[in-house]
Amino acid sequence: MIQARVFEELCDNVGRENVFDNIEERVCYSFDATKEKHLPDLVIRPHTKEHVSTTISIANKYNIPICPRGAGTGLSGGAVPVKGGIVLDLKNMDKIIEINAKDLTVTVEPGVVTKDLQDEVARLRLFYPPEPGSAEFSTIGGNVAECTGGMTGMKYGVTRNYVLALEIVLPDGSIINTGRKTLRSVAGYDLTRFFVGSEGTLGVFTRITLKLLPLPEKIGTITSYFKNIDDALNTTDSILIKSHFLPRSLEFVDKTGIDAVRGFTKEEIPEGVEALLLIDVDGNEKSVVNDISKIEVLCKENKALKTLVAKTDDERKILWDTRRSISPSLFRIASMKFNDDICVPRSKVREVLKRVYELSKTYSIQVAAFGHIGEGHIHLNLIYDEGKAADLSVHKLISQILKEVVSIGGTITSEHGVGDTKSEFIGLELSPHEIEIMKELKKMFDPKGIMNPGKIFV
Amino acid sequence: MGEDWKTEVSKCSKCGKCHTVCPVFLETGDEAMVSRGRISLAEALRDQQIVYTNKLRDYVYSCKKCMRCRKDCPSGVDYEIIISALLRGVAENMGIPLLPKIIFRYILPRRILFDTMLKVSSKIQRFIPMKKRGQMRHLPLLFMGKRWIPTLAKKTALQKFRNTKKLKNPRMRVGLFTGCLINYIYVDIAEAVVDVLNKMNIEVVVPQGQLCCGTPSSSMGDVKSSRKLAEVNRKVFESQGLDAIVSACATCTKTIKMDYLRTLGPSWKPISDKIYDISEFIYKYCGEEYETKPIEEKVTYHDPCHLLWVRGISDEPRNVLKKSSNFVEMDMAGSCCGGGGIFTIIHYDLTLKMLERKVASIERSGADTVATNCPGCVMQIADGFAGKNSKIKTTHSIQILQRALANGNINREK
Repeated sequence: MIQARVFEELCDNVGRENVFDNIEERVCYSFDATKEKHLPDLVIRPHTKEHVSTTISIANKYNIPICPRGAGTGLSGGAVPVKGGIVLDLKNMDKIIEINAKDLTVTVEPGVVTKDLQDEVARLRLFYPPEPGSAEFSTIGGNVAECTGGMTGMKYGVTRNYVLALEIVLPDGSIINTGRKTLRSVAGYDLTRFFVGSEGTLGVFTRITLKLLPLPEKIGTITSYFKNIDDALNTTDSILIKSHFLPRSLEFVDKTGIDAVRGFTKEEIPEGVEALLLIDVDGNEKSVVNDISKIEVLCKENKALKTLVAKTDDERKILWDTRRSISPSLFRIASMKFNDDICVPRSKVREVLKRVYELSKTYSIQVAAFGHIGEGHIHLNLIYDEGKAADLSVHKLISQILKEVVSIGGTITSEHGVGDTKSEFIGLELSPHEIEIMKELKKMFDPKGIMNPGKIFV
Repeated sequence: MGEDWKTEVSKCSKCGKCHTVCPVFLETGDEAMVSRGRISLAEALRDQQIVYTNKLRDYVYSCKKCMRCRKDCPSGVDYEIIISALLRGVAENMGIPLLPKIIFRYILPRRILFDTMLKVSSKIQRFIPMKKRGQMRHLPLLFMGKRWIPTLAKKTALQKFRNTKKLKNPRMRVGLFTGCLINYIYVDIAEAVVDVLNKMNIEVVVPQGQLCCGTPSSSMGDVKSSRKLAEVNRKVFESQGLDAIVSACATCTKTIKMDYLRTLGPSWKPISDKIYDISEFIYKYCGEEYETKPIEEKVTYHDPCHLLWVRGISDEPRNVLKKSSNFVEMDMAGSCCGGGGIFTIIHYDLTLKMLERKVASIERSGADTVATNCPGCVMQIADGFAGKNSKIKTTHSIQILQRALANGNINREK
């Protein structure tokens, strides 16, 4: 509960119209795309960095938890206020402050929608590559906080590779700047990189400067259907290792994922398909045509049942809509799912998938696997109906999978963040000493622990 | 009443994709004013975490019911089931305000009363000075709010077309469902429908007993009144032995074609299959066989939500306009104009913001005239231009075709 005088103090400083304590707003800001729910005590919708700064310093004074939120589209509970307190909705801070085409940089407020930024810079033939599945509605602030990866990671890397500088409000209300608006900078410790992926547990970004690239002239897309997973994985090896192609995207979907979207997308997927690869290449007109035709041959050499090359932008969109629809479409199968984003060394993908399907049978829980397979990344989605018994076996299954993933050199999360959904598993990957160092670092920035408590660490 | 909404809400994956299409969220950025948020409110109601309050009612009423989110939902949530349940819940738990209640329960079902009520108000209107091209500040009756809306017609469409022309050898006989706005205000749209169809050798009747489609009452959760209206309309149209039923109102078409299937059950299906939007009908049955002399004006088209997002109709009206005018496309033709029902009263500021965007799109297109297929959109957009003394005219696409046909010859025999 937030005391009346604290409420008044907040209203005085950020404006009554931006502070919400009615139950309806609190309900609407209690969840993210994990479907997990915790009611906040207040929702504050700042418009300026001063609003952010005063809100945080008041919260710090009275020990009120702050949960920063972009669009609430995350998949690890990052924006869920598990300890109550204030949800800081940054959606109104959505200005693109400066696109500097000559410097190849853009500076934005955190609430800018990823796709809006991409579209805006594309007008100047510039390119911001990181593109999570939710790019159309997720915000840059959320992307940076979780260090999201996305569809173009194979060639272009993830969010952290593009964040040059940050303006951050710290829990004491002070505002710091990390990094420079230059394409390189190494002065001092890399605080920028420290904050990227910090999941709102250290401070709140109020300005973000990102690196841009020249926009590739053309993108070519090819989809290929296989009768089993082995054929699909052999194809990825053929492309990357044997033929030395570097695709922009190299995506994989398994049978459960395919069946979830079958009939709901415009793409007609033949029966009997157990694996699908979706591949993008980019470059100039000539190189794209050339690469696509070579990749098509590689797919066929690896026993593809059928390949489809997109001829127009609309056809590209149809093929990609299939891929993007998979995650939410799994709710057509059951009402709950646990969305995992493991990553393993590329050579271990086959082994991991085999184990996952075995375990899925043992625990009688359906698992869909899809993801940025070129990078050894897999979204394992456990699909189940609500109920205590299911919850228990889901939990056991996740623990087992993550244990095995870590034991072969993989990671428990590669782009969603730990949040609270995976905080209990962080000990699988990090040693107590390493966790202790991280906690000490957090304490330095946030001694009272008001920033997004309950996340990352148990 | 159905409890299906309780399971429907569980289908929502909370992914947030509706953020990208919701015209209200685009303006507010408020999670309580987008489908995902309203679904979570429905969930909280189901789980007895919240109760009906004025605040909740405002969030529920903040939905335009354009159904654009349903079309794009990757989890396949039928949002209409949920929003209808919320509206019904608001009505059942908080009651319907007295004035609308009287109108829905006692006036809408009785044509004579409805006529009289509006006639009286139109008499009183005369004491208010005419303003801005026939748009005047209306009395706070059905169309409450601070809007510039057109004056009421002296003779309603139903009265004017009581006895429509009988054709010698008509190729089809169709009934016109006028809807309230066309019946009382935009009689010229009804006239255009009759005129155009007659020229295509199609006989038109305007069945006299027809009533309001029921959208105003169902959008305030008054299911009982809507059902009563639907039942009367069923009787009126079933008995006519028509080849087809057309409407020039996107919302009426949606309601009588689709919603009635729920209200009246599967027995409505044979009639529902014969209901068409006017452009859809012309495209299907008259195709290319009519000749026009296109008017010289530059005309653009605004997609009414209930035609585009609910029924997927976009090519048909454009086809008609391309044959009848110097057609130009506008950007964001499918974005909501902000008009329609209770939303414009409770969330007037949002209505204006949406209207501003629409007006700007139309202006950017360079068109002299904007055509659309819904009298509600016509009223809203005309309001936007009246407010700024623009020369751009707002009309129904059938009226453009009417003018183009008046110019040219008709090839009837094909």
